[in-house]
Amino acid sequence: MPIRIRLDRMLLERRMSLSELADRVGVTAANLSILKTGRARAVRFTTIDALCRELDCQPGDLMTFEPGPTLGVVEGDAEA
Amino acid sequence: MNATGPEDNAAPARPSRVRLARTFAALDWGWANMRALGPGSVSSFLKIILDVVQVALTIGAICTLLLSVIALALNFSPWLANKFTILGVSDQAMVRRVIFAYLLLIALYIAAIMLIVSRLRRIFATLTAGDPFDPENVRRLRTVGLMLAALEVGRYPVAVGAAMIAPSEMIRARMGVNITAWFAVLVVFVLAEVFREGARLRREAELTI
Repeated sequence: MPIRIRLDRMLLERRMSLSELADRVGVTAANLSILKTGRARAVRFTTIDALCRELDCQPGDLMTFEPGPTLGVVEGDAEA
Repeated sequence: MNATGPEDNAAPARPSRVRLARTFAALDWGWANMRALGPGSVSSFLKIILDVVQVALTIGAICTLLLSVIALALNFSPWLANKFTILGVSDQAMVRRVIFAYLLLIALYIAAIMLIVSRLRRIFATLTAGDPFDPENVRRLRTVGLMLAALEVGRYPVAVGAAMIAPSEMIRARMGVNITAWFAVLVVFVLAEVFREGARLRREAELTI
């Protein structure tokens, strides 16, 4: 997925664990790990807002764009 | 002079109009507020009915099986078969063939209905669990549609066969095209595609953080 959410660096800088951030942001740790591993299809603005608030950063600090093959179909769409 | 704007008068004036509008809305959409999904809803009620129907069909299938066994036994004792006359046919061989044909048709019919009921039961199980857009429901609905179509198509050979055995006026009526049944088949297939789209949306929503 060209758009990647880089949480590791910010977590390291803010010395926070993934589950703690999940608690503060209000998403489950599983969802946050989906975000971290790049398997998410979409992110809500409210989530980005909460992440930036808790990590005290800008959205640009969290996201990078690397041109490449887009994950066009969700796994399981192939059965259609 | 106090600066009483329209906001002050709005409070008493709004409720009656809003209440009226809400009452009409409730009358219009009251039926939509019934609990259709999840435990203890209309879906669970329908699932219970389908459970009962499946049990009844299983009993019917077992009875048909027993009847078939008895018919096979009769086959080996021709003097019993001579006593039966079906549809005005008294020829022994024909009677046997008619009995077998009827038993086979009843068995196929029960099998098709049982397949439909079992698939519908599983669909309503997912509805009762509160998860309507299970991807499997697409396949189940298509199976139901195919079985309904097969039942409709199967009526023609049955009517032709019955006409060959005992021509009568009734048969001609059964040969017509049942528009309602075919319409229902198409609706079921369209609903299957609707569920496919719903499953896709659910997957997308699941992966929206």
